[in-house]
Amino acid sequence: MRVFWILFAAEWRHFRAAKGLVLLCGLLLATGVYGIYYGTTEIERQRQQLAALPELTHRNVEELKVKFPGPADAGDIGYYHSTFAVHHPDPWAALSLGLRDVNPSYVKLRLLGLQNQLYATDNTNPMKLLSGNFDLAFVLVYLLPLLVVALSFNLLSSEREEGILPLLLAQPIRSATVIAAKLAFRVALVLGLVWLLSGVGMAWAGVPLDGRVFSWLALSTLYCLFWFGVVLVVTALQRTSAVNAVALLGVWLALVVLVPSLLSLGVAAARPLPQGIELTIKQREEIHGGWDRPKTETMNRFFALYPQWRDTATIRERFVWRWYYAFQHLGDLAVAPQAAAYATGLQARHNLVETLNLLSPAINAQTSLNALAGSDLPTHLAFQRSATRYHDSLRAFYYPFLFRKVEFTHADYAQEPRHSFTSQPELATAQHGLLKLLLSVAAVYGLGLMLLRVRPVSPR
Amino acid sequence: MTYLLEARELRKQYADKLALRELNLQIAPGEIFCLLGQNGAGKSTTINLFLGFIAPTSGAAFVGGLEVAANPLEIKKHLAYIPENVMLYPHLSGLENLALFSSLAGFKYPESELLAYLTDAGLPTEAVRRRVGTYSKGMRQKVGIAIAVAKHAKVLLLDEPTSGLDPKASNEFSELLRRLSEQGTAVLMATHDIFRAKEVGTRVGIMREGELVDVRPTATLNAQELEQLYLTYMN
Repeated sequence: MRVFWILFAAEWRHFRAAKGLVLLCGLLLATGVYGIYYGTTEIERQRQQLAALPELTHRNVEELKVKFPGPADAGDIGYYHSTFAVHHPDPWAALSLGLRDVNPSYVKLRLLGLQNQLYATDNTNPMKLLSGNFDLAFVLVYLLPLLVVALSFNLLSSEREEGILPLLLAQPIRSATVIAAKLAFRVALVLGLVWLLSGVGMAWAGVPLDGRVFSWLALSTLYCLFWFGVVLVVTALQRTSAVNAVALLGVWLALVVLVPSLLSLGVAAARPLPQGIELTIKQREEIHGGWDRPKTETMNRFFALYPQWRDTATIRERFVWRWYYAFQHLGDLAVAPQAAAYATGLQARHNLVETLNLLSPAINAQTSLNALAGSDLPTHLAFQRSATRYHDSLRAFYYPFLFRKVEFTHADYAQEPRHSFTSQPELATAQHGLLKLLLSVAAVYGLGLMLLRVRPVSPR
Repeated sequence: MTYLLEARELRKQYADKLALRELNLQIAPGEIFCLLGQNGAGKSTTINLFLGFIAPTSGAAFVGGLEVAANPLEIKKHLAYIPENVMLYPHLSGLENLALFSSLAGFKYPESELLAYLTDAGLPTEAVRRRVGTYSKGMRQKVGIAIAVAKHAKVLLLDEPTSGLDPKASNEFSELLRRLSEQGTAVLMATHDIFRAKEVGTRVGIMREGELVDVRPTATLNAQELEQLYLTYMN
């Protein structure tokens, strides 16, 4: 161990002398801090947006109170009144934004058909979506391996190429100790950066100090160790620094760019999704067709599903709200199988990615961090289910007014259901990710050690 | 008698080349054995086999009675090595390099002793704290000598050690070798320098195409006879 620590300390002196590497570490630190700033700013923007929604609802109610000063028909209120299903971010989402930039953090809802409202989102700059998030998870998953490559591509080859290795290995030290000390120094350096950035990120984002702190640190640590394992494999092959650099960058390109792209194509082909446009058209046809269908036919279909309203008066008027909302409701029911198939299909794609992400620790790390932060697809689907239940509760609130012909008073606004949904972490997914990363780490270190055993280090 | 360096039927065969043919050699304490021969004659291969840098195809090398292949770490405690071109960490000073290599060999010296080793090896005092990156080849060679001496090894393996040294420094190095020899150190030196071999060596061996073709005590030859012998074998 004495020799190990002598070499470890020497590595610190070598590192300090390599100004370019010091600069690179500083650059990673700066990009990490920017990633934290980007993530916390984005989540703060979403929080502010969500915090403004009750005020919008309040203003809408005040306007309706002016428009309908006395008791009103609940149908008018249901039509003009809008409320929101809101998806509050977990504080961890600031460190791993996941799909929170693509998927809406709130849904504006009226008493009309749900499906077209569920997928209506604010306009977003597509170029910004294309470029993706620059959060801490991005820095750790995609940029950090490049620092590992820059620090380690010449782990042993530099000494060999500079001619120092013969003198070094003429001392009573094992070549494995030399490699271990060099690798350990770099691991300590990079993990120091990762833990520092994670600590700053956690403090900045104000995350609760629960088990997820350990999970985050364990995931990022194992991910770093995986890349150093790749370095060990490449070092064990004992090629030149240039070949090592190309090999390591090739592995980075394959695992971070190529495999994810191929996986995305493969998953899309293996798990085709029903087209959203088909669902939209079918729902619109059903709803617009409702104007032309005989009212009794519409109401009988509705009553068959909701017999509790069957005893309401037969509709003889040209227009009544309960008939209008009935065919809106039937529009949703008509596309319910497609909507369910769409959500199931998305979940199936996600599950397939979860299964196949063993092929790329980068995807595994990213999906695990997203799951930990509650910013992944299952969380969004849970929000959509929650928004659907909320819309059901709005219907349950308004239907007695509509079908029992109860007038809607100003006091009734306060009784309207409110919605709130906060991301929940997918801890099981994160734990599976952790196990898979552990497997990947074991595989690369096993391979590296085996190669070193088969091919003893040559000093020249 | 216990030899500090011994080769028994030592052979190294590469895929397409026989680098060393059944070498038998014994070097006793206090002996300075000089290996002469052209490039590719097998001198460096012999040294690399004693260092354990390469594995023999057959036969065995012994250092201090220990077989190299079976005791790769233990034997390195007993030997010091100076390559033809000593390369050191360029961003560390001569002093820091010596401290590092000495500590790896298990010696922790105060700075005054480190300075003494360096200046005894001929490194100018003003240079000891300068980055090695600014050193000439000869200066690096002197740091290499200091590293070897500071290790207090029983065996010295030298591969063209005076390469890059000026004549004065070469003479000082020869003096140093004699001193070490008197203290019982066994030296195996590969060299092209016939006159240095005659001057400092106790025995010379001539290698050709991986084979030790002749061994003579230097006391029985003068420089011209040695040169003549060498040229005879080379031709």
